[in-house]
Amino acid sequence: MKPTPALNRSLWVFHLNTGSCNGCEIEIVAAITPRYDPERFGIKLVGSPRHADVLMVTGPVPKKMKERVLRVYAQTPDPKVVICCGTCGESGGVYYDSYNLDGPIDDVIPVDVYISGCPPRPEAILHGVVKAIEKLERLERGAA
Amino acid sequence: MKPAPLTPQEIVEHFRSTFGEGIEEAVIRERTEGVKKLPNYNIWITVRQDLLKPAIQTLIDISFPHLAVISGVDIAEQIELLYTFTIYFGVKHGEYTLTIKILVPKSDPRVPTISDLMPGAVFTEREKQEMLGIEVVGIPDPRRLFLPDDFPEGIYPWRKDEKGIPESMIKNLWEVKRPKDRPAPPLPEKPSTKECSMECADPLEPKTPAKEVKKE
Amino acid sequence: MSDTKKDSTYTVPIGPIHPALKEPVMFTFQINGEVVESVDFSPGQTHRGIEWMGMRRNPAQIVHLTDRICGICGVTHSICFARAVEQIMDIQVPERGDYIRTIVAELERIQSHLLWAGVAAHELGFDSLFHLAWRVREESMDVIELITGNRVNYGIVQVGGVRRDIVEEQFPRIQQCLTYYRDLADKLLHLFLHDRTIMMRCRDTGVLSYEDALHLCVVGPTARASGVRKDVRVDYPYCAYGDLSIDPVLPDQLLDEIRGDVYDRIVVRVLEVVQSVDIIQQCLDNMPPGEITWEQKIAKLLLAFKKAKGEAVGRHEAPRGEALHYVKMTGRESPYAWKVKASSYSNLISWPVMLKGEQIADIPIIVASIDPCLSCTDRVAIVRDGERSILSKEELHRLSVEKTRRLQHG
Repeated sequence: MKPTPALNRSLWVFHLNTGSCNGCEIEIVAAITPRYDPERFGIKLVGSPRHADVLMVTGPVPKKMKERVLRVYAQTPDPKVVICCGTCGESGGVYYDSYNLDGPIDDVIPVDVYISGCPPRPEAILHGVVKAIEKLERLERGAA
Repeated sequence: MKPAPLTPQEIVEHFRSTFGEGIEEAVIRERTEGVKKLPNYNIWITVRQDLLKPAIQTLIDISFPHLAVISGVDIAEQIELLYTFTIYFGVKHGEYTLTIKILVPKSDPRVPTISDLMPGAVFTEREKQEMLGIEVVGIPDPRRLFLPDDFPEGIYPWRKDEKGIPESMIKNLWEVKRPKDRPAPPLPEKPSTKECSMECADPLEPKTPAKEVKKE
Repeated sequence: MSDTKKDSTYTVPIGPIHPALKEPVMFTFQINGEVVESVDFSPGQTHRGIEWMGMRRNPAQIVHLTDRICGICGVTHSICFARAVEQIMDIQVPERGDYIRTIVAELERIQSHLLWAGVAAHELGFDSLFHLAWRVREESMDVIELITGNRVNYGIVQVGGVRRDIVEEQFPRIQQCLTYYRDLADKLLHLFLHDRTIMMRCRDTGVLSYEDALHLCVVGPTARASGVRKDVRVDYPYCAYGDLSIDPVLPDQLLDEIRGDVYDRIVVRVLEVVQSVDIIQQCLDNMPPGEITWEQKIAKLLLAFKKAKGEAVGRHEAPRGEALHYVKMTGRESPYAWKVKASSYSNLISWPVMLKGEQIADIPIIVASIDPCLSCTDRVAIVRDGERSILSKEELHRLSVEKTRRLQHG
């Protein structure tokens, strides 16, 4: 089955937690488990940014994490798509003021797809990944 | 082996008889919840600063307590440290929380470590050092706990005075706009804006198959 | 590893990518060959300054902040904080509010323990069990969503009570969920406790003795698996727990002895899922009628906050152990002081003891065994004579899986 041309190959996602509350984390993991099962399309979480096509970033980036986020971003091979998952990575959300945060994420690294919600539902996360696939296709066509 | 648990009143009496004048204040608060309204007890004891360790030793002699946390409050010229213990856990409905309070002057903010009595205290003592600017004398591990290594010296987030967080350190995440110093996107803007406008016009339109047709 | 370096100790830092809870951790292991000699860790990668933020907000806002201290034990911190503020204000939560809090807290325990069980299975390389645990977990997520409206970060607790009632029409669905887990209990016990692989990998791994558990002040299933009878729900009557018949779950309910190893921690957690089902059943059967909150109107609540003076501690038994909030209010709208003690805050300190003398391949399961939230072991860099090579979480995971295979065939 090939529902869209974008799903003609496996898409690997690296999940990077930058100080999120774990709410997004469990929804991301819930999204890869049998009820939603994106692995039938080849979408899976990988353990290293060097293997990833997509960076899924959550959290409001505390000071200790900023450098690590930049390093992981640099380690991900091009073309890559960055997904910002969760409201606190977009605008701070409930952590709108703090002395120890360097966020939001797009203040640190460029973001392509935003998934709102605190946390977003697994369906929304999958929808965001599909958006990322589309963007990745465009990038690859553009880069070629 | 174990003697019968003391009542909250007996615990307070025991402290008073041991330390006399050293106990500045002792309060027992009772609270009931649920339908049966079984009471739970919270004991608050304020002791003189130098009696902290003897007081904890007395508590250990009664029954080995569980150290929940050390909290700290900045009150004007002094810092209040609250050592919250729970005692008699494992006895059904018989557990009390017991908070030993001491006042430490800001001019000499030093307290002895209690990690020799309660090995689990190191963590929370490290946190008090960085958050309130207290010096824990004899702490086996004086490093910072939560704050980053490059956090400015002499600033303590929980202080209410001039050593607290200055306005300049606060970042309002909500007012951060889209950064302008980004390199241009790797793709020419044209196709992406076109697709975006299509998308905005009708998000329900299945546009990817259409793209496929175009591509072929 | 070259032969000449065989006896030398080298350092393995792990983390901090994929931090967890309020206290994510970067580990530094001193390794000799395959054996961990000593462990050090530095948390704080996700320090967001929540307590400091809270001192600038009012309690009605803070309950939504406390939901987001940890996404997995969302209701825990809200219950702790609300209970502390209620004690300061000296108000009573309506009985029905207490019962609803208890039901949501226990549903949370079910989903959290199943989540953990899945992660533990994954760390052992038993991925089919991971997927099974997460599939059955969705049932509790559905019921939580039915009751609170959210899957995660429920937003159900408000100071003075809860924000949503459980109505009559919802009871059959909750009942159905309880029946589902009751029927599943035997299967779960069988899968987790009688599996040869799990037995081999977890028995006598990561042992925490009774004395260490007591002196290091660990809490929750980690403490109970070492034989410390400590369960806030039983010891300290609060919410609806004082009305219920519950006893702390210790591994000797099922096994002959308490060893305080990883296996015992699995036993405690799986049995607690069964216990939570029983608690929810008791709450549903004895649910008192009436109001669900002390005051519906936020404006009146805010006015009451301004009158509140005093200090209190609020406690709750989170899925991972005791959580405690200290709050001091001085007649201003926002709290003057606020200290959050999450359950992992107490438990992390047991890692060095558990990990000492264990093998690298056992690190993932031991670290996961106190349930610090998912995995802190995403990235491992090995520093060997100053040279840095990267060991990814995958490789660490692979080592763990290989050990399982070795044991199976050995």
